[in-house]
Amino acid sequence: MLDFVLNLLIFFIIIAVFVKESGLTVQRPTGEPPPPNADKSIAIQILASGEVWVDGRVIDPDAVRANVERLHAVNTKAGVLIIADNLAPTGLLVEVVDQVHLANVYNVTFATAGE
Amino acid sequence: MAIRGHAHDSGDHGIDLAPMLDFVLNLLIFFIITTSFVKQTGAVIDRPFAATAEHKESGNLLIGVKPDGQIWMDRKQVDLRELRPTIEKLHIERPDDTVVIIADKLAPAGQVAKVMDEARKAGIKDIVISAQLNP
Repeated sequence: MLDFVLNLLIFFIIIAVFVKESGLTVQRPTGEPPPPNADKSIAIQILASGEVWVDGRVIDPDAVRANVERLHAVNTKAGVLIIADNLAPTGLLVEVVDQVHLANVYNVTFATAGE
Repeated sequence: MAIRGHAHDSGDHGIDLAPMLDFVLNLLIFFIITTSFVKQTGAVIDRPFAATAEHKESGNLLIGVKPDGQIWMDRKQVDLRELRPTIEKLHIERPDDTVVIIADKLAPAGQVAKVMDEARKAGIKDIVISAQLNP
């Protein structure tokens, strides 16, 4: 009986410890070139240097949320297309995706550009 | 009286089931653990932070991307070209897998994109970029 209970205990401890992965879900465009309806979505460019471009301007990564909220209010169906340079750091990419999620847009597509 | 009652209870009814029950339970636990075991990547990775990261319960195919673009899976370095067969092999064993890409903060985004494409070609729809919840 004691063995049995101990086994159960071990079992539940192991299950609890198992998977604690957390992350962000992003989509990839189905084709390699950006989709032709890209003009309908809100485009965010991330350069290798770490600059973030939205709507033709360089902005601070923390300001992505405000910009996406503004553009999303104009066109509520628009998704977000992130075009990152191949050499852009993933940390910045995740930060931008996070900001877009904070602006309540979860339709995020991630394309890359560069050599 | 009490002693006699005890002696009566432990009278022989044939096989004692308790050890067998333990054994079977141990086997069960063993198989559950081995089938759903998380494959660690084996690379030391500094993960990015995000406030909106969601917990993934079934994320058990972990792919690490290091700052220099090296791909690590199951404690081994994997070439980008070998990645797809490797994922396919593991995916056949467990069809409802989620791929979690654990990319370093400084890993190039292009490499992460390539890894995502390979995972999708291998037939996995649920792909997540790992991030820690903000402290």
